[in-house]
Amino acid sequence: MAGIANNLEFYLVVSSVFFVFGLLAALTRKNAIGIFMGVELILNAAGINFVAFQAFHKKASSSPMLDGHIFSMFIIILAAIEAAVALAIVLRVFQSKSSINPDGMKELKG
Amino acid sequence: MSPNIFCAILIVLLPLSAYIIQTAVGKRLPRMGDWVSTGAIFAAFCLATKIFISMWTNYSPDWVESAHWTWLDIGTAAMPLKLEVGIHIDNITAIMLFMVTLCSTLIHLFSTGYMRDHHGKPADGYRYASFFSFLSLFTAGMLGLIVSDNLFTLFMCWELMGLCSYLLIGFYRHKISAANASLKAFMTTRIGDTGLFIGMLLLFTFPLVDGTSLGSFRFEDIYAAISSGAFQGELLGMPVLFWLGLLIFCGTVGKSAQFPLQIWLPDAMEGPTPVSALIHAATMVAAGVYLVIRMFPILEAGHVLTIVAYVGAITSLFAAILAMKQYDIKKVLAYSTLSQLGYMVLALGVGDYKASFFHLITHALFKACLFMASGAVIYAMHHEQDMRKMGGLWKKLPITFATMLIATLAISGVPGLSGFVSKDQILVSSLAFWKENPAHFFVPIAAFITAGLTAFYMFRLIFMTFFGKAHDKHHYDEAHEVPVNMWIPLAVLASLSFGVLFTGSLSGGLFGHKGADGHYHGDFIFGHFNGWFNHLVTVPRAFAAEHYAHFEHLVHEMHGPGMYTSILLASLGILFSWMVFSLKKPSPEFLSKLVPGFVHKAIDNLYFFDWFYIKVFIKKLFLPVSKLFSVFDDSVIDGIAVDGWKNVVNFGKKLSSRFDDVIIDGVLVDGVGGKLPSSLGSNLSFLQNGKIQRYLFVAAGALALLLVFKGVL
Repeated sequence: MAGIANNLEFYLVVSSVFFVFGLLAALTRKNAIGIFMGVELILNAAGINFVAFQAFHKKASSSPMLDGHIFSMFIIILAAIEAAVALAIVLRVFQSKSSINPDGMKELKG
Repeated sequence: MSPNIFCAILIVLLPLSAYIIQTAVGKRLPRMGDWVSTGAIFAAFCLATKIFISMWTNYSPDWVESAHWTWLDIGTAAMPLKLEVGIHIDNITAIMLFMVTLCSTLIHLFSTGYMRDHHGKPADGYRYASFFSFLSLFTAGMLGLIVSDNLFTLFMCWELMGLCSYLLIGFYRHKISAANASLKAFMTTRIGDTGLFIGMLLLFTFPLVDGTSLGSFRFEDIYAAISSGAFQGELLGMPVLFWLGLLIFCGTVGKSAQFPLQIWLPDAMEGPTPVSALIHAATMVAAGVYLVIRMFPILEAGHVLTIVAYVGAITSLFAAILAMKQYDIKKVLAYSTLSQLGYMVLALGVGDYKASFFHLITHALFKACLFMASGAVIYAMHHEQDMRKMGGLWKKLPITFATMLIATLAISGVPGLSGFVSKDQILVSSLAFWKENPAHFFVPIAAFITAGLTAFYMFRLIFMTFFGKAHDKHHYDEAHEVPVNMWIPLAVLASLSFGVLFTGSLSGGLFGHKGADGHYHGDFIFGHFNGWFNHLVTVPRAFAAEHYAHFEHLVHEMHGPGMYTSILLASLGILFSWMVFSLKKPSPEFLSKLVPGFVHKAIDNLYFFDWFYIKVFIKKLFLPVSKLFSVFDDSVIDGIAVDGWKNVVNFGKKLSSRFDDVIIDGVLVDGVGGKLPSSLGSNLSFLQNGKIQRYLFVAAGALALLLVFKGVL
């Protein structure tokens, strides 16, 4: 347990797995909500990286910097905002097209 | 981690996980999962019993078990910022845990009946599941608050309870009055919470004598700093300890509904009756008193206690007067809660910490019983709450009547019942306080008048509800005793309203006392455990010992006169109530004519507090301020900043349109344009096909290529 928790690579592997899954979801889903979920995964992968690097940076230098934590806070907040806006868009698209397949969204009008 | 610490953590986590389960899948479970919440809190009760038994086996005033962990450590050497959280179990915690889990278990059990209609169907559809999830969260908040060893987690649980009270008071959300009441409760307590939070920050950051700041929220560190006199210095011309005490007491004023923030509590009756029982007995209002009990050394060292005593005295007296003119059965109980909370705060103010905690426990037990009994009456009367429409119910609801009578005797202070013992201690302490400070005669006078009034208005409730003739024939004929899951809680709580359980004396200390030799004389039957409550609950270490010894001596001196006066007042109150509301000689109408009109007007308008807050604070203060801001928005932000930009942009637009016409259109488009773009467009349009995932794929692929060939490039 301690060996895993003290290993930076472990966190990076987890975050890259998250990133790849998120990317795959964003590229392949035929459902706009699924794509947004993929984007959320990508964002959170970045968040994990920030926090992990911050934690190990701190261990190495014992400085009180909080940049990584603050960045991950911003990521969380931005992700929440993004979700709100995205869902609102999806809702409007669904109202006008009765579908949320992104391939259907070719026109800017209507 | 010792077993008791582990139990304490589980006690908090069990109702919390019940809340999560209920919220997630409660609607789909059989019986909508009321058994999940009830079972979880019952398991917590069993664990609390285990802690309670450890307290008994130790049987020492100094029994403490604690553990703490570092939660957050992000400071530097110059500015330490380290938050430690932990569990602290002593005798007070053990007694509180036992009382809260017991009351909460019984209230959950009662709700399984009360929240269903008379055919056993959940009265509010799927909201039945949410009701139990909120009850669980509420209880988890209170339990977390009790086991906290620091102000920080205490405050988190404190706010959690604020949220739950909002959710539960406004549970009947189709009623506009319930929605308003929940908002009022939330906003009013928020005022006090803000004070508490400022106090906490001041405590955490204020520079101590040695130049550092305390930098900790743990009770241990706070007590140590207080007793070593580390908090010197002044703030706004007063000692900082005074401000600390006052700000922390603000939290109590809000949460325990003390004067002048008492306005939310009567309105909180809009919630379902089990919620009223939970808020008024075991959880929310008790939390305020509990906070002062934990922070007593600060209040003592800051010399805030006299203010506390006056706040308590005013609250108890004025609420008791209001209670006499209420016709809603729950409103009477609401004002009696206010009044009894006033007693607890008064007891803290006069320095009798034990008596306050004692009354907190006894009051919680009999008030939970009273509320649930009134709930049973309301349930039997098909949700009729007006006492004028009741009457003669004792034949129809014998068990409810018996339990409510016992609890009423207890709150009235009749010897032999728990309320007598605890209230007697408070009254005697208030006398001792007056003896010490003859100028503060208002405090004991208010306390004694309230004692008489309490007996009067509580028996008014009994006579109007259970005796006399039935005023609503239809409801009376339909009324019948409540089902077994609703009367068992009543019976358990009523049986815990006997003073002998707390003192060991059958009469609650009337015939017999603790002798100078340390032995108990008279009708004490618990042997070694006589007077266990007073033995186990100790004053905090920082409290001035020599002062307390003197105070104890005065209390001992005043014990006889205080006790006999309180018995006399209680019996007079009951007798008078019987004459007025049973014999009708003198009749209530006649009595009410004796009271001058302006007093009636004041009582009917709740002393104009709501009027004052709404007319003066909200209409005269907040609305103008918000108007001022909106004027600023309109003129400065909108007028100058936004419209000003518009002019700048318009000018730029004109310039660039001239540029467009002459250079772009004339030279580039007509000259270079034409063939080239259109051929490029038709050939490259496959890239711009509007399929967003293709774009993303290209972007990701490009990024990957860039990373792979970074070395080559």
